[in-house]
Amino acid sequence: MVIVKRKELSLMERLFLPEIVRALSHSFRAIFQPKITRQYPEEGLPTNEVTRGQPRLTLLEDNETLACVSCGLCEVACPAYAITIDGQETDRFIEREPERFEIDMLRCILCGFCEEACPKDAIFMSDELELADFTRAALVYDIDKLKRPKAALQKRIDYFYKVNDRWRKSSSTS
Amino acid sequence: MSPQTFEYRPSTPEEIESDDPVHGELMHLSMGPQHPATHGVLRILIDLDGETMHNVEPEVGYLHRGKEKTCESLGWAKFFPHTDRLDYVQPLMNNIGYALALEKLAGIVVPERGQIVRVLLMEVSRIAAHLIYLGTTAIDLGAVSMFFNCFKEREKIYSILDAYTGHRMNNTYVRIGGVFADVDEGVEGMLREFLEGFPAAVDGFETMLTGNRIWYDRNRDVGIITPDDARAWALTGPNLRGAGIAHDLRKAEPYSGYEDYDFEVAVGTVGDCYDRYLVRVEEMRQSTRIAMQALDRLRETRGGEVLTEDRRYVLPPKEKVMTSMEELIFQFKIVTDLRLPKGEAYQGIESSKGELGFFVVSDGSSMPVRCHIRAPGLYNVQAIPLLANRRLFSDMVAIIGSLDFVMGEVDR
Repeated sequence: MVIVKRKELSLMERLFLPEIVRALSHSFRAIFQPKITRQYPEEGLPTNEVTRGQPRLTLLEDNETLACVSCGLCEVACPAYAITIDGQETDRFIEREPERFEIDMLRCILCGFCEEACPKDAIFMSDELELADFTRAALVYDIDKLKRPKAALQKRIDYFYKVNDRWRKSSSTS
Repeated sequence: MSPQTFEYRPSTPEEIESDDPVHGELMHLSMGPQHPATHGVLRILIDLDGETMHNVEPEVGYLHRGKEKTCESLGWAKFFPHTDRLDYVQPLMNNIGYALALEKLAGIVVPERGQIVRVLLMEVSRIAAHLIYLGTTAIDLGAVSMFFNCFKEREKIYSILDAYTGHRMNNTYVRIGGVFADVDEGVEGMLREFLEGFPAAVDGFETMLTGNRIWYDRNRDVGIITPDDARAWALTGPNLRGAGIAHDLRKAEPYSGYEDYDFEVAVGTVGDCYDRYLVRVEEMRQSTRIAMQALDRLRETRGGEVLTEDRRYVLPPKEKVMTSMEELIFQFKIVTDLRLPKGEAYQGIESSKGELGFFVVSDGSSMPVRCHIRAPGLYNVQAIPLLANRRLFSDMVAIIGSLDFVMGEVDR
């Protein structure tokens, strides 16, 4: 336990003027320190693979097919109910694909639970942060707006696998 | 125990009329809900007799979002982002409080390194929250440069959290059974650099405020609360310690391994706004100490796990989900239907505002029956009439600032 010391003001402090000079000298030192203001939007936000921006859907290597099989796990995991999926069957090598995959960006809170839940590496948080439009409807992103080639998200995917590499010493069930 | 005698009593007609030129004509003043000094949407109804306040009555509920009820329909794991938004100046602290309650309910043991990371995050969050207190209270009392000084330091913390979690606020990086990711060496270095420079910054704050006559006159002997009153009104945290009671949950009921850390509990003597300020400044120093110790331990436990291995509650690693059918089944089970055992648990943690408690009740299904949040801010708001009645109106700003509450948590 440490009892905080209540300071009694000395004569100099009660006179106040010398104190103003002392405090101003402390303040004026800030002039010579490096500036910390970022001139956004001229200076962009620094983003890297750690940044959890808006979620995006990955495409397979052929850059046409979505990796998503519309299992609905991200829909269930989403705490903001931002994701809507309608699945359908296809005759491609992946038997299921989303007919409709919408993320309401106005609801999305960028928590990353969808990315964690996805069992097919189909959804990842990109480093795209800026979000503005003129209508609400335009901010409900569909597949066309969400899909990204895998290469664009590769850094995030690698980072995610790195931090997700846990239970190394475990008796794995696999 | 004898019944508590409250200092608070409504003003008597004699007191109201004593020096009032217009007999009995009180001015009804509604301070807030959009007043900048109320730190959020708090409305305070005041009857003013000249400059003297009577019948002070705080009115809460303007930021009520039904968080507790939301939890009941959302499920255990999905409530984590909502806890971020309770006391939004220290999201990780709320995450950890909620996670600790769930872990107590389910009997989950967090790995050692996970606990160390949590302690580190909690102490850094505490510093950030106290910086907000200091900056906003100072600007309310007229010290504009203090606001910028505090927010400059806080900005450093947020940059570090950004580098660690990917978000500046509302981090959501704590999971049942630990934390989502390990603190890597880069973040560790940033934290060490910040913490080494921080005591000097605190000295700078003290240069500006502690001996400052304006700060001194406006805080000293304003809003005095006696130890008995503080206890009776269920104040916790720096407000209680400022009144002279050395109660700190980190010492009284240690969690997350706080018993292994070397730190002191800061205690005031008088219980006025000035004491509460001094206690918080000292707590920032102590938090720096704890965080430094946690950093040293992180170095010792490098390579350890931060998430417990328990397939009932924790998502398996992605690598295994992609390769093993068994793990894929666990992935589906946990995401869609995370069940906690039947029972109830309460866990309180020492947040920057006081005892932040989560009381969770489970009937064994995937939806909570009840999740009560004991928000320290609500109790701090309750004490406003006690501290402000029959005082001058200009003291109100100092009292509100020194009680330090965040309305997101009060109204929840």
